[in-house]
Amino acid sequence: MITPSRKVAELPSEVEEVFREFRTCEMSTLARDGTPITWPTLPFWRPDEGRFMITTSISLTQKVFNVRRTPRVSLLFSDPTASGLKDPPAVLVQADAEAEDEILTSVDGFEDEMRMVYRRQPASRVYSSNALLRYFMDWYYMRLVIHVTPRRILWWPSRDFSQAPFVMEPDHVG
Amino acid sequence: MWDDITKYLPDFDSAVLTGVDSEGYPFGVRCWPHPDAAAEDVLRVQLPADTLVQPGPASLLCHKHDENLWNLKSFLVRGALSRDERGWSFEPLRFIPGAGIGGLPAMARFFIGSRRNARRYLKKRGLARPRIPWGDINAVKEQVISSERVNSFR
Repeated sequence: MITPSRKVAELPSEVEEVFREFRTCEMSTLARDGTPITWPTLPFWRPDEGRFMITTSISLTQKVFNVRRTPRVSLLFSDPTASGLKDPPAVLVQADAEAEDEILTSVDGFEDEMRMVYRRQPASRVYSSNALLRYFMDWYYMRLVIHVTPRRILWWPSRDFSQAPFVMEPDHVG
Repeated sequence: MWDDITKYLPDFDSAVLTGVDSEGYPFGVRCWPHPDAAAEDVLRVQLPADTLVQPGPASLLCHKHDENLWNLKSFLVRGALSRDERGWSFEPLRFIPGAGIGGLPAMARFFIGSRRNARRYLKKRGLARPRIPWGDINAVKEQVISSERVNSFR
């Protein structure tokens, strides 16, 4: 049960900063037997759509198959490494997800996200740098898109999980 | 499996424990798991008194990266979360290595396996291997490198 006094109507700016600046979040999908399967993921917050975009290679499809069977997911933002933020909150986004069928390889419409990855993860630039690596790494650029729409957002100031979280239940965030 | 957990767990400051709440959504928190002194092959975890996590299927993720989102290291343990008079405990059922676990052989298996997985995914759907627009990708990459060069001279 969430303490009623901790329910808020608006998403504070420090929570959106976390969405923009954290390098990874921990994305949980539900396996067939109901076990949450959690792996670090690059989150792309799209405030104009009020949802996150996650992409995954067609070689690593576990989360896509899990989402198609059970759309209930969560994104936990709990590791501020490299974010540059001072004392950010931890944020948990409980959400409904949709996975697209189309395999995307084009950069059209994803230029901003690609620039962000190349800026934040310079070592990933090597994947497309020569013919041999392009041959071995082409699967990395065959992507499936997952849209994650927040249903409930909880946050713990100073990442102190011993305190009751603040909560927002958005119709539409952003 | 227990040997893997006790070998790699000390490499991480904390872990993400994810269970399921009463509405069936995953619910994750950071915690500091440690072996239960009174039980074999069980981890004890401290969760807030008012946590929304329910006993049942759960997983424990440890992961880290450096300031350049590199030197990735991770593993996941599938298991079960339960509660008794001493608090919460996590019973590991399966250790799943992630990035940076297992050295070069594991890395080679990952990259070769990923290429094979892609081939299988496409074959199952009767799809040809898509052409990757390397020129467009490298153009975006060059934009980033150029802007970094400009910024470094300012």
